[in-house]
Amino acid sequence: MFRDILKKGRRLAGLGSLVAALTVTAPAMAQDKEPIVFGGSIPLSGVFAFAGIHLHAGLTDYTSWINSQGGINGHPVEYVMEDTAYEVDRSVAAFKKISGSSSPATYYGDSTGFMKAIASELNSMGTTLMSGASFATALTDNEQYPYQFIPGPSYSQMFGIILEYIASQGEGGDMPNVAFVYSDTEFGKDPIENGKARAAELGIEVVEEIVTKPGSVDVSAEVLKLRRVRPDYVVFHGYVLSPINEFMVQMRQMGLDTQFMGTFWSSDKLIIDKMGADADGYMGVMPYNYYDSEESGPMLDALRAQAEKSDPDAGYRPTGYIQGWFNAMVWTEVIKRTLDAGKELNADNMAAALASIEDWDTGGIIGIPVTVKDMSFPVGRIWRVNAEAGRYEPVSDWIHLD
Amino acid sequence: MDWLFFGEISLAGLAMGGLYALIALGFVMIYKATRVINFAIGEIMMFAAYLFLAFAGGMELSAWIALPLAVIGGSILGGVIEKTMIRPMLGESPISVVMVTIGIASILVGLVEFVWTADPQLLPNFLPREPVFIGPLYLAPKIAYGFLIGAALLIVYLLYFRFSRGGVALRATASDQAAAYSMGINVRRVFNLAWVFGSLAASLAGVLVAATGGLSPQFGIIGLSVLVVVIVGGLDSILGALVAGVFIGWLETVAGAYLGGEYRMPATFVVLAVILVIRPYGLFGTHEIERV
Repeated sequence: MFRDILKKGRRLAGLGSLVAALTVTAPAMAQDKEPIVFGGSIPLSGVFAFAGIHLHAGLTDYTSWINSQGGINGHPVEYVMEDTAYEVDRSVAAFKKISGSSSPATYYGDSTGFMKAIASELNSMGTTLMSGASFATALTDNEQYPYQFIPGPSYSQMFGIILEYIASQGEGGDMPNVAFVYSDTEFGKDPIENGKARAAELGIEVVEEIVTKPGSVDVSAEVLKLRRVRPDYVVFHGYVLSPINEFMVQMRQMGLDTQFMGTFWSSDKLIIDKMGADADGYMGVMPYNYYDSEESGPMLDALRAQAEKSDPDAGYRPTGYIQGWFNAMVWTEVIKRTLDAGKELNADNMAAALASIEDWDTGGIIGIPVTVKDMSFPVGRIWRVNAEAGRYEPVSDWIHLD
Repeated sequence: MDWLFFGEISLAGLAMGGLYALIALGFVMIYKATRVINFAIGEIMMFAAYLFLAFAGGMELSAWIALPLAVIGGSILGGVIEKTMIRPMLGESPISVVMVTIGIASILVGLVEFVWTADPQLLPNFLPREPVFIGPLYLAPKIAYGFLIGAALLIVYLLYFRFSRGGVALRATASDQAAAYSMGINVRRVFNLAWVFGSLAASLAGVLVAATGGLSPQFGIIGLSVLVVVIVGGLDSILGALVAGVFIGWLETVAGAYLGGEYRMPATFVVLAVILVIRPYGLFGTHEIERV
């Protein structure tokens, strides 16, 4: 174990030196063109560091990879970031600093709070397109957030995909019912109203809503409430791990045959690693193919090769890594389209280029061609945990919302 | 009114309240003996829970060996904090000492992030998993057995305070430091003992709560919930800690079940506000009158 600790310590120390250096620059390339800068407020420490470390690795590896491919239309790419500890004020400060010194074309925001806080400044600057860790439904409002997009489905769209899957499981007109369990946070509440509306449209009854306070909590009282309504499905949102495990274990102890589902941040391998056999059967909606899935494609293969090259000992790469990679991939596509059209690289032109994405082949990152709608990619697939195999396996086709 | 449901909810709340009482006991013991408000109590709980994870998960020791080792580790941490960081602050303003405890909390969070990373964790299962029924009432097994373990320590503590020399010294020092010192009690040692015992109670509660609700570097926030308990019960009252702990646990759970989870905290803060208006020194706290 101590060897593990030392190993983790060395990795963290390595990350620390990256943070100290502040920039991950392109390898020296014989290119005369101006570099294009990807900026980022990255949560390498604090409450979101468990994902931030992998998001950062995905962004870093993509930058290395795209530079190895000749950059974007011959422009080398620089990735400039600062650690924010997932605090909005530090994210804002990092944005101002990086914007002032490096003029980033695109920027990674680490939280919904930051992306909302920075919106008016971003709009007035008109130079930078932003996406990031947030899948908040609010960001699909093009009037208020014209230069921000979601690198996948919004949380409401994730609920839409989950509910479509649930509706497809109804047999002989007997529609399953569902309970929503979410944390008492902005994150947790995000898709609930839209989820209820979509459930009503599909004829799915929402038999219970459970709100839990954030943090380490006992949920046995909430489990008792669910026992009384016996939902066919429970959909969790606003969590990463706990208390999903307690709901699942206690409800199964009570003999309920409820199925459990969750959204992006609670659909990584962490659930399997920490819950073990108890995770079996848990389902998540995921817009990207998992690192260890049997799917392949030129970009997914490139991602795996680059990940292996940058850290051969890392093994499985979490969904945060793929999310970071995909963000940078979309930025590249948008910048390329803008440059190819002979337009200036500003926020308006990049937003227009993003909106023009239709039936885009992501090279296996997403399993079907995708079309941007309301600054998001409303696509996903339902995956189920096979605890014995230690991974998620697809149980639905790709679902692209209209 | 579904009385069976109310009974089950109440039982779950009382059992959770028992764990709150255990944390509050750790808080009150330190305050009662040393007059230090320990804002690092939640992080001491967290540290002990991570120790348990290292012993039971990393080293794969039996949980019943890992549990005492983690609790002892947490109590040693409390003793070391007192000796190296709190004792040098003797005679300084209470605000300075409080700030030191906040700093300690921050250091502990950084330490666990460095060693165990910021990933959310689950402790290895060590409590029986068969559902517990008290008559017709269901109780989640982790809560039920957690309550029993916590209650066992509470009883040991109460007996220790009542009958042992160390317990008498603790009570004497808490009652009147000058008088205790003049009677030959080693007050500095008692201070250290209070931190060790207070941290021990918190450490056990930390492992039990983490076994139910999971573990992350933000786990220590639970210490703030317990601040409500000790203010309601009285900062210097062990009886207050026990009664208020059980009551707040019950209230939180019942409010969550009937009003919704978003009303758990507001319900306890309404009680806190009412108590502060009626009895600012808490239900069982000492009403100190300062004459100048």
